[in-house]
Amino acid sequence: MIGLPANRLFCILLLSLFIPAAVCGASVTRTLSTTEPGVGEVFVVSLSTDGIDLGGVVETLPAGYAFAGTDHPDDRVLVRGQKIGFAVMNETRITYTVTAPTSGSGDITGTWEDFLGETNGEIAPSHVAVDGIETDPEKSAEKPAAQEAASPFAVLAAVAALLIAGRGGRR
Amino acid sequence: MKRLLLALLLLLAVPASAAAGGIPGDADGDGVLTSGEYALAALAYLDAAYMGGAGDLDRTDIQDAAWVYARWDGKPREVVDSSGQTVTLYRPLRRVVTFTGESLETLRSLGFDMDRVVAVDKYSHEKKTFFPECQNKANVGSIWSPDMEKVISVRPDAVFLYATISTAACDDIQKRLEASSPVIRVFRFDCFKPATYADEIRTIASIVDAPERGEEFASFYESTMDRIRDGTGTIPDNEKTRVYFEYWFDYTTVAASAGYNEKTELAGGLNPFAVGTAEYPVVDPEAILVADPEVIVKLAGQGLAAGGYAGHDPEALAAIRSALIERPGWTTISAVKDGRIHVIHSDILGGAQHFIGTAYLAKWFYPDRFADLDPHAVHQRYLTEFQGIDFDLASKGTFVYP
Repeated sequence: MIGLPANRLFCILLLSLFIPAAVCGASVTRTLSTTEPGVGEVFVVSLSTDGIDLGGVVETLPAGYAFAGTDHPDDRVLVRGQKIGFAVMNETRITYTVTAPTSGSGDITGTWEDFLGETNGEIAPSHVAVDGIETDPEKSAEKPAAQEAASPFAVLAAVAALLIAGRGGRR
Repeated sequence: MKRLLLALLLLLAVPASAAAGGIPGDADGDGVLTSGEYALAALAYLDAAYMGGAGDLDRTDIQDAAWVYARWDGKPREVVDSSGQTVTLYRPLRRVVTFTGESLETLRSLGFDMDRVVAVDKYSHEKKTFFPECQNKANVGSIWSPDMEKVISVRPDAVFLYATISTAACDDIQKRLEASSPVIRVFRFDCFKPATYADEIRTIASIVDAPERGEEFASFYESTMDRIRDGTGTIPDNEKTRVYFEYWFDYTTVAASAGYNEKTELAGGLNPFAVGTAEYPVVDPEAILVADPEVIVKLAGQGLAAGGYAGHDPEALAAIRSALIERPGWTTISAVKDGRIHVIHSDILGGAQHFIGTAYLAKWFYPDRFADLDPHAVHQRYLTEFQGIDFDLASKGTFVYP
């Protein structure tokens, strides 16, 4: 049986685990179907956006890894190079797929904003490595297998990105 | 594919409406932010903020767009203020200037984020105890002597002025504001009149999108005022309590057009000096003796500085009362003989807190009818629950005596 001081300590530890989440309100977490994909393997990335009614998430893939698709509505997704932007509109989960390169490792990083709650934060990085083999980040900018035959979506997104980039400010 | 291309092309058009002062993200400028337009606006913002794009929407724009989309169903909010003008909002209020302490207090009652009030009038600025959070805000002067440069410098999106008093001064401020910037919204509310305050609470709650809080506060306010009206409404005039209400200055009373008379009558008082055009007429001392009031109420406040939120000083109010009793001939007045002389501070009778003071009046005029009415409790609940300030009436402030 745990003594009174130990009980208190246990409670404090429990509280310390839960309080930050409660104070921060919304936050986004990421899970991967695998962190060690095979060469050219398409793996699944899931983002939990519970608590964000209207917001956005921007994910950044490591060099060589390529966005392959998503079940998110296509008018709420924007791809620019290694970055993927998602407009969150009452979804609790966003799932997208990534094609692994022939080799390479790195972190998938992300940031989120809750527009209504007026909060934002970073998503904890998720490390991925093809076949579990770590590579020098300097040499890991290898083309992914899938990038050589990019999806029509990615091409379109790239065109849009160029148009946006060339538009300039209007104010 | 066509749908995606159309969406991406629309994305390019998003900033136009933001620049035009409409709802941010309303790409086609039709005054409605659709789901598709909002999504494109969100992507345009993310692109500019994190992805190396060059969109025009900033964080405030997209947060405002989200607010309008989620809370206003994607449409502008139209509000009719107490002057009868229709004001259209395309965004939530973020930078508010109040020229009236009553509007400021009402905003606080509604739980409005006081950080969004960027400047206040000089009288609110001076109320360090009641508006402590306003001490570091810009001071824009008064409606009679406004510091317009200061107002413009704080880049307000909304300015609150009176609706039915000091109309010439307020009209002038409004004209100058509207000439200086098309995006400044001017709201006209009184927030001190029993006849209109409940409606004004609900309207301002609509402006700041706090309908539930607005209903809660309006119901709290109405519960007190309705209790008073119900308790006095059926009393025939010839059975009403005769009241001499004295303003800050000696032998100066309130006539029919004065707000204090309205509250006296609401509380069931019969003011023998209500007739006349002057708001605050000076009365002949002999006339008071002839009128033989059953209750005497003396007002303390700005013109007779004692008590209020600024200080806990019951002795000062007691001294005012003693001085009244010592006036020549007053020992013959019924109110003096019966000990029914009361001093009340204008803080709880003249502004947004008039319902508290009116409750005291009703209780003084008809102690049996209002035996269950507890103005002190109403006051404390108002301060704690609606104003959200740490002010214990047991040890701070003096508002009535006895």
